[in-house]
Amino acid sequence: MLDIERVGHVYETPQRRVEALRDVSLSVREGEFMSFVGPSGCGKTTLLRILDGLAEPSGGRIVFNGHELRGVSRDIGFVFQDINLLPWRSVRENVEIGLEARGMPAGQRRETALEALRMVGLEDVANVPPYTLSGGMQQRVGVARALALHPKVLLMDEPFGHLDNFTRETLQIEISKLWSKLGTTIVFVTHDVDEAIFLSDRIALFQGQPGRVTRILEVDLPHPRWEFNVRGDARAIEMRESIIEHLGVRQEVLV
Amino acid sequence: MSVAAVRGRRPSTQMLEPLLPAAAVAVVLGVWQWSGSFLSPILISTPTRIAQDLVELFARGVIFSPLAESLEELVIGGSVGILAGIALGVLMGRYEVVDKVLSPFVNFLNATPLVVIIPLVIIWVGISQNARLLFIFLITLWPVLLNTLAGMRNVNRGYVDVGAAFGLSETQMLRKITLPAAVPFILAGIRISAGLAIIGMIVSEMEVSLTGLGYLLVTYGNSFFTGRLLAVVFLSSMFGVANVLLVKWIQASFFPWIAGAAADQR
Repeated sequence: MLDIERVGHVYETPQRRVEALRDVSLSVREGEFMSFVGPSGCGKTTLLRILDGLAEPSGGRIVFNGHELRGVSRDIGFVFQDINLLPWRSVRENVEIGLEARGMPAGQRRETALEALRMVGLEDVANVPPYTLSGGMQQRVGVARALALHPKVLLMDEPFGHLDNFTRETLQIEISKLWSKLGTTIVFVTHDVDEAIFLSDRIALFQGQPGRVTRILEVDLPHPRWEFNVRGDARAIEMRESIIEHLGVRQEVLV
Repeated sequence: MSVAAVRGRRPSTQMLEPLLPAAAVAVVLGVWQWSGSFLSPILISTPTRIAQDLVELFARGVIFSPLAESLEELVIGGSVGILAGIALGVLMGRYEVVDKVLSPFVNFLNATPLVVIIPLVIIWVGISQNARLLFIFLITLWPVLLNTLAGMRNVNRGYVDVGAAFGLSETQMLRKITLPAAVPFILAGIRISAGLAIIGMIVSEMEVSLTGLGYLLVTYGNSFFTGRLLAVVFLSSMFGVANVLLVKWIQASFFPWIAGAAADQR
């Protein structure tokens, strides 16, 4: 459904030329939850920005439902790590921003935004300014802002990276529930292995500079995952070990 | 932690702290008043004398017509200058060509102490209210222009990303992201420009043609009416105070998010 074909990405800084990605190919299947996992600086976020049309690949191409992707697609939604809610807009108006870009009339925009806020349990704070919300609530608004557009694919860039552990786990369960309810395809960037195992159908492991995909794993655990202790599950533990082994975290520490 | 705990003071001292500025002012006024008992009133006058003269200026109605003239020039010249400055700043921020063409002139004129162009202004439009208005306009324009431009250049990268990811057109990006994000800079520019407009008002009233508060300042100065002179000086200061309060009020009433967002980031 979303095919990444031999994508590379190079950018220039005043000091040097950086090759962020080299020759990355993988296919995201319709309706699946796929995570990109790997250490910082191996191109996961760059690839996600390319998928959203925020950055251009220097080589290769993205094919979305049979068409080569150029620029920002209206069927692909993005959830940022730094949510950057606009402080001069209310929560609801923040959720409306993508709808405004599409020229939806005000009344319909309002309804759609409130519906998206309802999905993340925030319809009560629709009219408050975003800076009065906690970090977890702001991140939910970030999710609602993307969901309001009814995207076929939702790209999430370390969305829970800034949150404390408790909020993080709550939001993991919420996003898992939303995913099983809506059937949206999700591509999720994280460097938290447990988070990836809990949420994903498949995990792509990124490594190196320039970043490459070195392995793709199927997460062979039943859904819904919030109904059992995934972290304590023997298969999950084994998978976690093998991921950490593969990414070479231990070797690096010993060297 | 309370302030008292941080500074290691007893609560009684801490309660007196807010009174410190008022006390300082009272001391200075007291010393000034006392100096009046041995200095000539022509040199510096005294606070009570100035207060009396101020009341008298109003009671006798001398002040009203100059005050109205000054205010009229300030409001017209200043607001046209500020609006033009914002408009030019937006054009320069939006279109690179405009920026490239105008920036040498803008930077040159901003660096010039514009009082020097008063003779030229008089040559252009003659000794008239138009000359004063033009001068106020010219002196007001630059800070708000440069601040608007700086505000548009310093928009949080993340806001621009959000606009791009959610498919805003360039016009929508300007209206919905860049301009609102630049408002704190623009307000700061308005405050500086309005301060200059006040200076421009007084200077042009003293140098172009004697009217308004500038007229009173020159007349009272030449006649050694130091008390009345300082009463008018005090009124001029009030223009500056009013400017600061007005901009604060605009920000609090129309852009409450500026304070809210800043508090959230702490």
